[in-house]
Amino acid sequence: MRRRSFVAALVASAAAPRIARAHHGWRWTEGAEFTLEGVIREVRLGNPHGILTVEAADKAMWVVELGQPWRHAEAGLPEAELMPGVAITLEGHRSADPDELRMKAERVILAGVTYDLYPDRS
Amino acid sequence: MEHLLAAIEGSAFAESLRWSRWTYPFVNALHVVGLAALFGSILPLDLRMLGLFRSVPLAGLTQTLRPVAASGLALAVASGLALFSVRATEYAAMPLFRAKLALVAFGAANALLLTGPRIHAVRPGLLRLAGAASLLTWLAVIVAGRWLGYLD
Repeated sequence: MRRRSFVAALVASAAAPRIARAHHGWRWTEGAEFTLEGVIREVRLGNPHGILTVEAADKAMWVVELGQPWRHAEAGLPEAELMPGVAITLEGHRSADPDELRMKAERVILAGVTYDLYPDRS
Repeated sequence: MEHLLAAIEGSAFAESLRWSRWTYPFVNALHVVGLAALFGSILPLDLRMLGLFRSVPLAGLTQTLRPVAASGLALAVASGLALFSVRATEYAAMPLFRAKLALVAFGAANALLLTGPRIHAVRPGLLRLAGAASLLTWLAVIVAGRWLGYLD
């Protein structure tokens, strides 16, 4: 029995990093702050959460995870201004996987104005 | 099909759910309640079919657990449709989502084939097979469903 639970724990821990790469919370991201500057190419807003495709200066296409509508509303982020072609800067954390061009945004900078999606997180 | 998906996505219902603050997480919770009722009731049935708890008559178990499982499935399907509507086109294009639907259909068909009095006429070997299939299918449904939330 002990042996079996040990094996189960081993299997679970081996599977954990893959699961943790998921987009809920920050566990899949790198600890260091990350800034992405680019131009919005695609916009999907609304529940379960918003997603932007942003083209960086080096032409790389990034997937940026935003918040739910209520979070954007509380941050004062004008969702209507998130449109293809608009220049945008995003601060937050990128995926811990260096090959994955994906980040979770904590702050959105549009036309010089910073919108803090997570004011309780420093 | 594309028109239908676009119509679902553009419906007033999907639109309100998409921008809601409380309703979306609430519907999400209903989905969990539905699958908890389904799996929680079908698990003892499957285990009984696999040969555990033999002292408990199958008839009594099915009488109580079947309706609970069926109600749980109904709730999970209804809430699942609501969650689906928010990004219908996107979900419909996901292989994992299609696989999940196929698994749900298989699990439901497997359960229906064992409905009512027929269950007593089934050979023990076949009963075990059906129980194992049911258990594995619903586990796979849960894993697939959970995984969907982690894909783009």
